[in-house]
Amino acid sequence: MSVIELKKINKYFGKGVSKVHVLHDIDFSADRGELILVVGPSGSGKSTFLTIAGGLQTPTSGEVSVEGKQIAQLSTSQRDKLRLNQIGFVLQSYSLVPYLKVKEQFDFVNKVKRQGNLNKAELADLLKQLGIENLTNQYPGELSGGQTQRVAIARALFANPDIVLADEPTAALDSERVAEVGKLFKELAETRNKAVVVVTHDVRLMDFADKTYRIMDGKMTETNTEKMAK
Amino acid sequence: MYLALKEIRHEKLRYGLIISMIVLIAYLIFILTGLSFGLAGENTQAIESWNVKSIVLNKDSNVSLSQSLITDDQAKKASLSAKQAVIGSTPVVAKDKGQKKISSTFIGAKKDQFILKNLKISSGRRARDSQEVVADEKFKDEGYRLGDKIRLNSSDQQYQIVGFTKNAKLNISPIIYGSTGTWKSLRGMTNAKVTGSAIVSKTAKYDAKDTHLKTYAISYFISKLPGYSAQNTTFGFMIGFLMIISLIIIAVFLYILTMQALPIYAVLRAQGIPARTLAATITSQSLILMVSGLVIGAALTAATASIIPIGVPMSFDIPVLTWISIGLLIMGFIGSAIPAQKIATVDPVKVIGG
Repeated sequence: MSVIELKKINKYFGKGVSKVHVLHDIDFSADRGELILVVGPSGSGKSTFLTIAGGLQTPTSGEVSVEGKQIAQLSTSQRDKLRLNQIGFVLQSYSLVPYLKVKEQFDFVNKVKRQGNLNKAELADLLKQLGIENLTNQYPGELSGGQTQRVAIARALFANPDIVLADEPTAALDSERVAEVGKLFKELAETRNKAVVVVTHDVRLMDFADKTYRIMDGKMTETNTEKMAK
Repeated sequence: MYLALKEIRHEKLRYGLIISMIVLIAYLIFILTGLSFGLAGENTQAIESWNVKSIVLNKDSNVSLSQSLITDDQAKKASLSAKQAVIGSTPVVAKDKGQKKISSTFIGAKKDQFILKNLKISSGRRARDSQEVVADEKFKDEGYRLGDKIRLNSSDQQYQIVGFTKNAKLNISPIIYGSTGTWKSLRGMTNAKVTGSAIVSKTAKYDAKDTHLKTYAISYFISKLPGYSAQNTTFGFMIGFLMIISLIIIAVFLYILTMQALPIYAVLRAQGIPARTLAATITSQSLILMVSGLVIGAALTAATASIIPIGVPMSFDIPVLTWISIGLLIMGFIGSAIPAQKIATVDPVKVIGG
C-alpha cells in the first residue's frame, strides 16, 4: 500500500467567469523509500498539489489518503495531528522559528509532540548525516541558506514522519548545494525509509529522483527522469 | 509558554520597550490610586474614626456641616443615647508665636459623649477643660509641641495643646478637638441656645424627631463634602482611561508583532502545531509582559512612597492595588485576544502558496 495516495484530484479556485481549474484529475502515489519529484513551471499547480497532499486544503473533488486514512474524513485537529505525526514539511522559507536556536527547534517539537520523535542518539546521528552537528547553538539568522535548509530538513525529520513534503527546497541554493540537497533527500528516503515528495521547478534535482511527475496547466503526467533532465 | 519566553528573551530590546510602557502605565495608575486614596482619606479620616453610620443636620443646611445648627430644644427632643453625639464644627486658623498658621477645622464635642471619650491619643492626653485641645498630628509635623498655646482666628483666648491624635482630618483640613463651649465662642454664639452643628449616630436609622432636622446616611454625607465626589470621579476617570490605554497599547503592540510573525505561525500550523498552542503563546506573552510591567511598576511605586514628602497625601491600599493589577492583567488578556484569534485562524496555504 502506498503511504500517500491522491485519486482523481480536481481543484477549482474562484467562481463564475473567474473560475479556474487548477488541478485536473490528478492521480499520484508515493511509497516509502522513494524520492519523487513534481516539476513544473510557476503557476502550474505544484504548490496547490503539495498543500492538498499535506492536508492543508481540501480538493474540490477526489480523495487523498495517508496510510489508507482519507484526509477528508478527518477533523481540523485530527489533520493537525496527522501533519504533526506523519508528514514533515520542508518549505522554501520561514521553516524555522527565528528566535529558537537549532537545538531548541527540536525541543519545541518535543514539547508539542511528546512521543515518537527521534531520541538524542538518533537526532545526533541525523545532524551528523546532514553535516550540521556543530550548529546546534546557532540561531537561524546566523546560518547560510544551505545550512538553514539542512536544519529545516532535520526539523521535519525529527518528528519521524512517514512522508516528507518539500516545497522548492533548493530555490535559494547554488548548483553545488542543490546537488548536496538532492543527494541528501535520496539518502534520507532510502536509509530512513521515508516517502520524500519534492515540488520544484529546479530540474537539477532530477538526477536523484526515483520518479518524476510533471505538472503543466494543472495536469500531471509521470515522466521519464532522464528524458526530462535533457 | 516556551515560545513566548524564548521570543521575549531573544528580542530583548523590542519586548523591553513594551514592558517599559506597561511599567510607566502601572506606575502612573498606582501613584494616582495612592493619591486618590490619600486625598479621599484626608476628607473622611475623622468621620471614619468616629465609626458612625448616620448624621443629623438642619434640613436647610444643604447637607453642609458648617451651615447646620442644632438648637438646645432640638437636642433635648432628640433624646440622645450613648450611640449619639453632638458635634459643633467651624473652620479656624490656628496660630502660635513663631509657628506656621494652619487652616483647620475645630470640632467641639462633649466630654461624656463617644467622640471625645473614644478619641485615640497618639501622644499627650485628652482635654480636661475648655482651655485645652487635642490636635491632629499635622500640627506636630509642622513643629507644634505638647504644651504649646495656640490662638484660634482673631480671638485672644489661648488654648493649650495637651494631646495629638492620628488621622483626624475632615475635608482635608486637620482637626482641633475641643469643647462645645469653645465652639460656641468661636462661632460668636456664646449666649445663643444652640448645642452644635450636627448629631452623629452609630445607628443607621436614628430619628431626631424634629421636622427641621434630617438624618442622612454617612456615605451620602461624605459624598456631599465639598469637592469630594468631583475629586474621586476625576481620579476614577484618569485610572479608567489609563487602564483602557494599557489595553490599547498591549493590543496594538501584540497585533503588530503577530502580523510580522504571521508567516512563522502559518508554517508552524502547516507543521501540525495545534492552533491553541500558538494562540496560548501570544496570550502567555501578553501576561508575561503585563506581570513584568506590574512588578516593576509596583517596585517603583514602593520606592516613590518611601521618599515622598510627609505632606503629600498618599495612601496605598493593598487589596485595591491588587484588584487594579488583576484589572490590568485582564486588559492584557483581552489585548491578546485579537492577535491570538489571528494566529488561530491563520491559513498556511496563503504563506506557502497554492
